[in-house]
Amino acid sequence: MPMLRGFLILVLFFLFGEALRLLFLVPVSGGVLGMICMTLTLMMNGSVSEPLATASQGLISVLVLLIMPGVVGVFFTADQFQGQWLAVAMALLAGTFLSVLTTLVLMKWLVRGSGRGPAND
Amino acid sequence: MTERLLSLVETLSDGPALAIGLTLGAFFAGNWVFARIGRPLWLPPVVLAAVLLSATIAVLPLDYTRYQLGAQWLTVLLGPATVALGIPLYQQMHHIRALWRPILCTLPVAATLAAVYAVVIAWALGATPEVLASLAPKSVTAPIAIGITEQLGGSVPLMMGGLLITGVVATLFVDLLAGLLPVEDERILGFALGLNGHAVGTARAFEISHTAGAFASLGMGLTGVFTALILPLVFHL
Repeated sequence: MPMLRGFLILVLFFLFGEALRLLFLVPVSGGVLGMICMTLTLMMNGSVSEPLATASQGLISVLVLLIMPGVVGVFFTADQFQGQWLAVAMALLAGTFLSVLTTLVLMKWLVRGSGRGPAND
Repeated sequence: MTERLLSLVETLSDGPALAIGLTLGAFFAGNWVFARIGRPLWLPPVVLAAVLLSATIAVLPLDYTRYQLGAQWLTVLLGPATVALGIPLYQQMHHIRALWRPILCTLPVAATLAAVYAVVIAWALGATPEVLASLAPKSVTAPIAIGITEQLGGSVPLMMGGLLITGVVATLFVDLLAGLLPVEDERILGFALGLNGHAVGTARAFEISHTAGAFASLGMGLTGVFTALILPLVFHL
């Protein structure tokens, strides 16, 4: 029961996000809008209720399960993208390598910079 | 008897139970095989599960569209699951406060470049607009990325496949570059894992440490929100 109560809250926030998206024609999914509203609400409340924490942990831990029906589709729609696979593979491999490098270098440089600031003076 | 057996699958696939059963079964089988082969970094359970599930669908007299129709009962939960990501985001607010300046400076640059690198490389190699739109949200967590790709006019199955590969290679590259650069700070490693490798990277970060995991969730959540807000606007220009 408590978990279902938490689930109800999540569904309500999702529906609220969808309503915002449709009413104001925002180009962002209802789930994301619901998530932003959820974070803001929690920041105002200052705490997470037990049912909500349980329900969200449960759903997040099965995220991989929920995306599987979609992931599987790539095997069955492969013909559609003939001749594009080199571009896709290079974009994923080289692109991800570069973005990981960017993130690590940038964070390392900025964290060191901020660390030397007030902490050492 | 064989005929009756074939029509059995036909009848069972009318409802969602078969699709849900197959998905759940593959999910647990993937996890089991993963543990059995010594938890290799380059072959996470989700890849194993997806391959197992595809093979099963291909073998059964069940076509993908029928399967997907039934599995929608599971996919519906992605909406509330996205909302659920707001809870760890709130819980890790104190981490943001400690490192808010580096995070705030890195996020827009790195999250934008994660999309730009992929789109530019694919474009240079002659990819169609549909493929570009499917690759753009490759570093975003699935429930958010689905919405983005649909808005940009991409293919959701291609995006999902790209998402999975991105998660796996991001994990490998973070491990590799952490040694080369070198970066030892778990907070930085976690953040890089979540920002580039979404859920797959976050799962890996939790294996490193709790702090790395917290920063990965943070990186994943922030990248999702940032990309969801920015990408559709940029793409329409």
